[in-house]
Amino acid sequence: MVPLLFFSALLMLVIGILAPLAAGGRDMRSVRILSLSCTILSSLILAAASLIVLLNGDSATIPLCQPTPAIGIVFSLDRLAAFFTFLIAGISGCVAVYSVEYFDHLPGSGRRNILCGAMNLFILAMVLVVASATTVSFVFFWELMAASSFFLVMYEYANEETRRAGVFYFIMTQLSTLFVFLGIIALFAGTGSFAISPIILSSSPLILPAFLALFTGFSIKAGIIPFHKWLPYAHPASPSPISALMSGVMLKVAVYGLIRFLLDVFSPDFWWGALILAAGTVSAVLGIIYAVKEHDIKGMLAYSSIENVGIIFIGIGLSVILNALNLPALATLSLLGALFHSLNHALFKSLLFLSSGSVVHATHTRDIEHMGGLARRMPYTSALFFTGAAAIAALPPLNGFVSELMIFVAMFSSIPLVDPFVKVLLFVTLALFALTSALSAACFVKAFGSVFLALPRSPESEDATEVSSLMIVGPAILAAGCIILGIFSFQIFSLAGFNLPLPDMFLVGVLLCGTTVLVYGFLYFTTPHAHRVSPTWGCGASAQKPGSEYTGFGFSEPIVTIFSSVYRTKKKNVRHFYDAKECLFSDGIAGIDLIKVFEEYLYIPIAKAACRTSAAIARFQNGCLDTYLLYVFVTVVAIIVFLGWSA
Amino acid sequence: MNGEFVAYSAINTLAVLAIAPLYMSLIKKVKAWTQGRQGPSLFQTYANLAKLLKKEVIYSPNSSRVTRVAPSITLAAILVAALFVPLAYVPAPVGGIGNIILFLYLFALARFFMALTGLDAGSPFGGMGSSREMSLAAVIEPVTIIVFAALAFVFASLNIFDMFVISAASAFPVTPTLILLAISLFIILIVETARIPIDNPETHLELTMIHEGMILELSGKNLALMELAAAVKFTVLSALLINLVLPFGLVTTFSVAGVLAALLLFLIKGAVLSGIVGIFESSMAKMRFFRLPSLFVMAFFFSTLTIIIEVFA
Repeated sequence: MVPLLFFSALLMLVIGILAPLAAGGRDMRSVRILSLSCTILSSLILAAASLIVLLNGDSATIPLCQPTPAIGIVFSLDRLAAFFTFLIAGISGCVAVYSVEYFDHLPGSGRRNILCGAMNLFILAMVLVVASATTVSFVFFWELMAASSFFLVMYEYANEETRRAGVFYFIMTQLSTLFVFLGIIALFAGTGSFAISPIILSSSPLILPAFLALFTGFSIKAGIIPFHKWLPYAHPASPSPISALMSGVMLKVAVYGLIRFLLDVFSPDFWWGALILAAGTVSAVLGIIYAVKEHDIKGMLAYSSIENVGIIFIGIGLSVILNALNLPALATLSLLGALFHSLNHALFKSLLFLSSGSVVHATHTRDIEHMGGLARRMPYTSALFFTGAAAIAALPPLNGFVSELMIFVAMFSSIPLVDPFVKVLLFVTLALFALTSALSAACFVKAFGSVFLALPRSPESEDATEVSSLMIVGPAILAAGCIILGIFSFQIFSLAGFNLPLPDMFLVGVLLCGTTVLVYGFLYFTTPHAHRVSPTWGCGASAQKPGSEYTGFGFSEPIVTIFSSVYRTKKKNVRHFYDAKECLFSDGIAGIDLIKVFEEYLYIPIAKAACRTSAAIARFQNGCLDTYLLYVFVTVVAIIVFLGWSA
Repeated sequence: MNGEFVAYSAINTLAVLAIAPLYMSLIKKVKAWTQGRQGPSLFQTYANLAKLLKKEVIYSPNSSRVTRVAPSITLAAILVAALFVPLAYVPAPVGGIGNIILFLYLFALARFFMALTGLDAGSPFGGMGSSREMSLAAVIEPVTIIVFAALAFVFASLNIFDMFVISAASAFPVTPTLILLAISLFIILIVETARIPIDNPETHLELTMIHEGMILELSGKNLALMELAAAVKFTVLSALLINLVLPFGLVTTFSVAGVLAALLLFLIKGAVLSGIVGIFESSMAKMRFFRLPSLFVMAFFFSTLTIIIEVFA
């Protein structure tokens, strides 16, 4: 049953890839609809297949081709793979629904068909990475995923900004593949097997390098600081559904890789967990601190993705630590928290990317300082964005809160049980995790407030209108998911067979709604309904202007000042004088610029070093035949000498 | 959800709603006395709320549905949080009610809606208040969570009900470290309820206001709901502090006379705490906004000290 469903879903995706190619460069809406319907249908089939596996608990192995006994492409859907397949399928389906109308608004006529095809290829690659049962097919589809996502990012290639983002993304994603590849080769050298299965002889010295290489590879793909720089470039540059897929789903494939190898291949030590925990904490805190400052709406969402992946890594790292300390129940809770947060982040981040795509479509800008007042102009989109913002800010009873609560509870409960050294580590992480969560609330109050509330700050926002129905339906399904997964979290975990020490969010939800209705109803029936509309008080100004509102920049100013040491600003103050004694001021420039710390101190130096090295090597390639003959001669002599020595 | 818990919910919520405005007036009264004034009546806050409920509501033309629904949701979130902190009588917890992390995040829910209300009318004062409120909340959050972690450590439970049951078993603090935690909890109380030196609840001057800034554009019953929510929040946090540190009188078995006596005792203890807050407020000036993080570092220090003592003693 499951293999049949799986292959029919793959077939649908392949049709979705081939149909636009068959249409060639012609701009045909029908082809796009066909292709995206294939995506939606395959999502439904995949979701059904993975739900069967998740509920029954038995895994399905699906061989595809086995050229040699050692190297083969074999798929397997166990509960972990099924969980991530469900995640991919669920998000892709909603994104496809949204894309049907969104792609009509994109420029680029015939290329839009190709975009649909490439999107299907991307989804296919992600499904197959997750379903891979051997390291060979894992790395093969990993690379396919990287390549197809590069095409998606480069859609608006005429844009200078997009080209720059594309190159950045390409280099980082290839680096990620390189590390994953290295890790898999090291694993093969250490164990002699391409299967994703537990290492029996764990004494090989190659195990540790294999883990470090894989961890680096997955961290680059997941956007862990300091490998994160591609996210804030690639997400704003690509079309919104693509950002939603990349941020919501592709990052989770990297998370899947890490969890899969940690659980099934390695038997991790304590300090591996500490490494993952530290990487996660740094990413979570710095990611949200940068997000607060950002005023490009999609750039802000990209930084917030870095934060959320950091939270997921905190959960994974904590689970590894607790497992190493022999606390399996709490380790399971923490790992479930990480997995649940992966699903939740996929839901609310794609919801936020899709609804911000609608906003960008309506206002023609990505700068939140030029938006405002959209709650009255786009009521449905604003309600959807609000749900996403409340979920990502971890407000009860929505899903984002539940997964953070699981990690919090795991931390709180493990603190009395561990050594003092681990206690200190956990307290530091706990404080920083709490900071992250509160800052993300500040960040999304700023985002929702600046984009949707008060007066519009540009003529385009003034004239913004609500988007068409499918662009509401797609995100609406995701929003419903956020609410259902939050309120019924306790019941869902019970159904899956986990009895967790969590509050029943259904009860909390009922209490919250009941009290709200009670308060509202009480006042409705006991107090007068008289109300009147009158201008906002503006200190005596005759009319309120958008310019006098609090801007997003102003909103984040206190946080920027408090965390000024993190932001590393550069103050510029150049003054010119008429006289030599510097008394008569003529002109000057002053300004405060934000230093892009990682870019200026890490990426650019490495890039420059790479350029210098390759320039040095390039000198050996002078194109002159005599030189090459000399190289051959020297090599032959060296080999002869070497052979004489060793004989 | 059993009958006992339903009865507890009704009694606790009504008691909180009834007591909360009294403490607000009491603080004002104490502050007036220290300044040599007579001060308003102890029932002034009730009168103010009743007056606001009767008045017509004024909306800004810029405001959206947020302003219409946020006051009810804010009060509801605070009232649900109030269920987590029994004032006088501790029943058995039901369905995870009493989880200390959930308690903290219900306040975050209320704050989220309040901050959005501040931004909704497009007034610069509202934005200023929201921005400051969210920034301060972000900085105090690590302190709060460490204090709560220390409480969970001391009482070996994540549930406030369980903590109260343990603390009620002895008339005095369970461990001496609780006194250190009480200092941190007091600072959290001051920050969360926006009092001097964090914020001055009595001025409408843009330099000082945080909480008042956010609700500046509200009127009529919306304003009443927000004021009541702030008062309830003060009472709930006071109850947390009082019942953990000075629990005598807290009852864990239900009897009408016992609960009434415990409520009366709580009323007195809360009044004493309000008096302390009033004197505390009178004895210091509002701090500069960017000096506040150093106050939080102090609270952080006390809670970390507690943890170190608990861990290594």
